[in-house]
Amino acid sequence: MTDHLAQFIVAGLTTGSIYALIALGFCVIHNTTGIVNFTQGDFVSLGGLVIYSLLMSLKTPLIFAFPLSVFAVTVVGAMVERVAIRPARSRSVVILVFITIGVSVFMRGVFKILWGKNQMGLPSFSGETPISFVGATLIPQNLWIFGITFMSVMSLHFFFNRTRMGKAMRAAACNPKAASLMGINVNLMVLLSFALSGALGAIAGIIIAPITTLSYDIGVMLGLKGFAAAVLGGYGNSFGAVVGGLLLGVLESVGAGVVSSTYKDVIAFGILLLVLFVRPGGILGHSETERL
Amino acid sequence: MRKIPFLAGLLICILYLGNVYAAEPIKIGAVYSLSGPAAAIGTPTKLVTQMVVEKINKEGGINGRPIELVVGDTESDPTKAIMVVKKFINVDKVSAIIGPDRTDLGMAVKKQVEDAGVPTFMTVGGDPVIMSGGPLGTCKWVFKSPQRSSVAVEKLYDYLKKENLKKVALITAADGFGKDGKGWLEKLAPKYGLTIVANESFNPKDTDMTAQLSKFSSANPDAIVCWTIGPAAAIVAKNVKQLNLKEPLFQCHGIPDPKYVELAGTAAEGSIMPSTKLMAWEQLPDSDPQKKVIKDFVHLYNDVYKINNEFPINTHSGYAWDAIYIVANAMKKAGVEPAKLRDAIEQTRGYVGISGIYNLTPEDHNGLGTDSMIMVRVKDGKWELLK
Repeated sequence: MTDHLAQFIVAGLTTGSIYALIALGFCVIHNTTGIVNFTQGDFVSLGGLVIYSLLMSLKTPLIFAFPLSVFAVTVVGAMVERVAIRPARSRSVVILVFITIGVSVFMRGVFKILWGKNQMGLPSFSGETPISFVGATLIPQNLWIFGITFMSVMSLHFFFNRTRMGKAMRAAACNPKAASLMGINVNLMVLLSFALSGALGAIAGIIIAPITTLSYDIGVMLGLKGFAAAVLGGYGNSFGAVVGGLLLGVLESVGAGVVSSTYKDVIAFGILLLVLFVRPGGILGHSETERL
Repeated sequence: MRKIPFLAGLLICILYLGNVYAAEPIKIGAVYSLSGPAAAIGTPTKLVTQMVVEKINKEGGINGRPIELVVGDTESDPTKAIMVVKKFINVDKVSAIIGPDRTDLGMAVKKQVEDAGVPTFMTVGGDPVIMSGGPLGTCKWVFKSPQRSSVAVEKLYDYLKKENLKKVALITAADGFGKDGKGWLEKLAPKYGLTIVANESFNPKDTDMTAQLSKFSSANPDAIVCWTIGPAAAIVAKNVKQLNLKEPLFQCHGIPDPKYVELAGTAAEGSIMPSTKLMAWEQLPDSDPQKKVIKDFVHLYNDVYKINNEFPINTHSGYAWDAIYIVANAMKKAGVEPAKLRDAIEQTRGYVGISGIYNLTPEDHNGLGTDSMIMVRVKDGKWELLK
């Protein structure tokens, strides 16, 4: 069974990249607010749905449709913060988490009205001719997913470490009071974090949609797996989110291929539990300040 | 004073109308998944149900009594399905129930309707709803209109045998429908002289099945058989093309649906599957007694009610039509007293429906055999009837 290992790893890295992007979205918001944002999965759905409408109904070329969709979901992400989170004027994690659950249900309802209940299919970015690569066959979309995920993670890294804004966000995450005393607008940073995780979710939704299919609730299951990936890597640690995402994807696919496809989720989540028993903070989750 | 004749006339009209509608309506409960993941199946089923009930009422109802439809939503959730059915039985006091539309929902409400003794015609794919014994309970009141999974498997295996494809690789969903199909695929293979050389499964929500499918190349099968409903089938088709597997891909009888072609794109080309005659009715010989019935149905569906705008016709579209017609025909003969109605449904012989010619018996609560199905292949995005 090991002769297909390359194939399993390619499949695992593909879904793992998506998990990683979603996990990153979870962790950006966690770091500024301390909450788990349950609308993350819906950002994924929305990204796919918006690009579907742009490509299929409005016939926008992909090169414009991609950034437009990401931008649209970014705005929605910011709106979620502005309309639902900020007016609550609460720092209580439980209250804010429940608000995000409510917003998530609301968003799914709106998607269902706007896009209907049917499944939708999206064409691949650049054809579906299989490519052979060291014992595995992949389609161009796999490469797009690897490339775009890599670029996203790199630009996020650059943003947080090299730009003023990114550093300000890190400061606000580390100690909101001290940050606001230093003249950083913490509210703005929270708003930005929602916008940013909206963008990350949208990217994940857009690049995975051609491989899977699309429906108004496609992000629910992916969101859950992304959350698991974030926990696996160490919740709130962005490097951990990427490692956790890729690891969960590979575990699932190798589990399905080598052991048993019926129990692949059991295997993946069993290992997640084991990791948490040994390292309750996740693989890379320990220090408070180095989270971003 | 000149108003008196007018008022008298009006009064007569009202009395007359009152007389026509004095016939008490017969209540039929329709329970479908109108929201949640199965909504894309449940919503068109509801529309067809309303269409056929209007048709029956226009044609004089059940011996003069109109059918009154009570609709309930399962929200694709077994618990909600049970609540709807309990309401039908205890509050609405319906004479019969149509639906639900998914195997797991059907199994959830089976006990309720069996205990209460309400004739129930389901539109579910899986067989356990009309099987009895052990954990399956009794089956005195439950019927289903779609072909049994076992019938679809036999139709498919019959084709494989004819084409001399002997080694089969299975990939099935790990849900109620997929497991039901897997059981029959394993059980019936020896009867048709087939060997199962690989046996994989997946979660219907999975986004990638290449890990399972790549194991098939070393098993060296003659044919790949996938058993699932919904978008997962399209993903399997795409993955088969991606891995460059040359074996023909067979899908189950739940897949003949324009959606499959839309979702899988060019990867759907060449997929072969058992289907109801609805998918390729224009290619049927004129001698086929179902052709005219299907033609009428398609006309109503597409041109009159225009359900195809949102839900193009698929292999499932006729199930509710057949379920209601069989129940209504039995009501015409035996009335609405539950046990008599049940017996009359069991005595349905030679009803020419959309999904086949039904011959029910007390033992066979479906009444369709392999002759009710055809094999179709996707060709240029259309459904080609295979001989």
